Amino acid sequence: MENLYLGVDIGSVSINIVAIDEQNELVFKLYTRNSGNPIQLVKKGLAKFKQEVEIDQYKVAGVGVTGSGRQLIAYVLGADTIKNEITAHARASTFYHPEAGTIFEIGGQDSKLIIVEDGIAVDFAMNTVCAAGTGSFLDHQAERLGIKIEDFGGMALEAERDVRIAGRCTVFAESDMISKQQYGFTKPEIIKGLSVALVRNYMNNLVRNRVLKGEYIFQGGVAANIGIKAAFEAEIGSEVIVPQYHDVMGAIGIAMLAKRDVKRSGQESNFRGFDLTEEEFATKSFECDDCANNCEVIKVIADGRTIAVTGDRCGKWTASLITDSSITANSSKSETTQTVVKDQAAAEEKLDLYKTDPEAEKQVMQELEELEKDDQTEKEDNILV
Amino acid sequence: MVKKKIGIPRALLYYYYFPFWLKLFAELGVEVIISDNTARDLLDKGVKKSLSEICVPMKILVAHVLNLDEKNCDYIFLPRFKSIRKGVVLCPKFLGLPDMISHSLPDLKAELIADQIESKNDDISAYVNHKKLAKKLKIKKSEMKAALRKAAKFWWRYRQLLFAGYSIDDFLGVEKIEVLEKLITKFENSKQLPQSKRSELKTAGNEEVVDIALIGYVYNVYDKYINMDIINKLKEMGVRVHTFEMVAQEIIEQELARLRKPMFWEFTNKLYGAARHYFASKNIDGVIHLTAFGCGPDSILGQILEIESKDYEKAFMTLRIDEQTGESHIITRIEAFIDLLRLKKERN
Repeated sequence: MENLYLGVDIGSVSINIVAIDEQNELVFKLYTRNSGNPIQLVKKGLAKFKQEVEIDQYKVAGVGVTGSGRQLIAYVLGADTIKNEITAHARASTFYHPEAGTIFEIGGQDSKLIIVEDGIAVDFAMNTVCAAGTGSFLDHQAERLGIKIEDFGGMALEAERDVRIAGRCTVFAESDMISKQQYGFTKPEIIKGLSVALVRNYMNNLVRNRVLKGEYIFQGGVAANIGIKAAFEAEIGSEVIVPQYHDVMGAIGIAMLAKRDVKRSGQESNFRGFDLTEEEFATKSFECDDCANNCEVIKVIADGRTIAVTGDRCGKWTASLITDSSITANSSKSETTQTVVKDQAAAEEKLDLYKTDPEAEKQVMQELEELEKDDQTEKEDNILV
Repeated sequence: MVKKKIGIPRALLYYYYFPFWLKLFAELGVEVIISDNTARDLLDKGVKKSLSEICVPMKILVAHVLNLDEKNCDYIFLPRFKSIRKGVVLCPKFLGLPDMISHSLPDLKAELIADQIESKNDDISAYVNHKKLAKKLKIKKSEMKAALRKAAKFWWRYRQLLFAGYSIDDFLGVEKIEVLEKLITKFENSKQLPQSKRSELKTAGNEEVVDIALIGYVYNVYDKYINMDIINKLKEMGVRVHTFEMVAQEIIEQELARLRKPMFWEFTNKLYGAARHYFASKNIDGVIHLTAFGCGPDSILGQILEIESKDYEKAFMTLRIDEQTGESHIITRIEAFIDLLRLKKERN
């Protein structure tokens, strides 16, 4: 039986699932639009996986989840590795293109720049307060112009004249587009202008004063847009490579990282199995009013059993679940669970210290006195680290 | 005479000077009330009463002043920090702070005590900096001077510990003067090194420990609410955290001398000197500039740091904080930054 590693990328616009084998060969690839219910989509994706891949021949040895929605899905799947999308993208790119120097990644709601030297990422930038020039914006404009997003990029190449569109802000870009349309510029010209503006904005916001080196890799959902690719090539004056699997690079990267992590730890995967496609998942949220933060706490429930709690700043609700599950956890996992509980306890102790009610202060007093009595340095070590 | 209560907002330079103020008021026998920790509803109230374009640390201050007013203080202690170094001022918002508060919050029940602080160095204990306070609280000059001397001495002990590598975070949350005294004495006599100096640290998954300099103003770095508890997040990810207050003043001045002309703002200069020192230090793997959205002085500092980080070939990242409550953007960035540093280390 061969080992498989699952990689799941929960983005704002798309949800991607891939499976790679020991040789990093792609066994399964799925790119779906995120219509707003990630759990349902992941379940559907896994069901499709079961249909397409003969799962009896393989064993899922590791699961990695990345993307902005990684936390929730990681609970649902039982992930071994939960990592940010920057690291995941860099990992996959440098695998397929070891000579890469610059990675442009434009996704649904954020854009990233990753600078690579000798196969490892050395610098990165990510858009801050503005989502101008990301996939969602293009989606919206395509819809407004009545063009399918798939045809959007191709049309830009048909343009005969150049037209300048403001790229700083989507609101300005949109009003610019409308007025240029009214002046009689054609749709392809407007789209080309928009692609150039998007790249200009990217250069201003992310590249700034960095010196870029080849090879140039362009990935993420927007890389499918040949108009944007052409605009990038015109801007930097060099060829830009769009990898074969440009749309699922994040998922491939996280699968590779999951493989590395399970190999390193030598532990069995936490994957909850394909049966989870049969389970009913629900999320519930409530506002905790135990302190002034009023955190929105989210509970993930699988078949009526709470499997995760998240969203609390103090970690109280998260901790309550870990303590509960440590009882049911099997023996192989209990060791790790215990350390988690311990860490949580340490964190809680620290939080008490942070609160300023007289009770807590008294406790601090006592602790200090005890510490003075018998200088237990090791114990205190854990609290401070 | 009824005993008067004086409120100190837990905002801005509170994080730098709180041991001084706690000791001072303890010596004077004045009851002190400190506003609550920054939290969502506390901040919401402040945001409503602030100018919408102002930076978030100032909104936080407004929130804390309101919070103190709810606690029925007689006075709110809000010194006007003009200068703590000859010829260099603080951010203009600090210069106009008491005026800004009295105009944004005209219905304040408590009275503001707004002495102007003008000092040659970080030691703000001169009597002239506390004249109004002495008058309001009807304290004799000699008595005030004696209390200020004691407070300055106490603060200096705390400051020395920061130079030695302790973080302000290690002292926060302790507000009773006796407890604070004990804590300081304990750290002074401790054989154990502070976190930033410790060589053996354990990380989850036995990953390599990295050293990051977190460069930012005290009110951004130590307000756990607004920065999503970044210090502990970094520590949990296996990072030794270094901050500007650990760098000796002489080193900061040496580094500043390299600039053709220092900047106008004292704490911006301090951050710059410290960042330069960390750029040049072999032990530091990367530098994070933590800044509030819309900060004027930081728009200059950030640019200079970004350019200079390239000269030193040091990994550098800017983290911008504002009123948002979602944590994922901060986690994504610091996690990716740490991954990058670890990969670099592994390769070498």
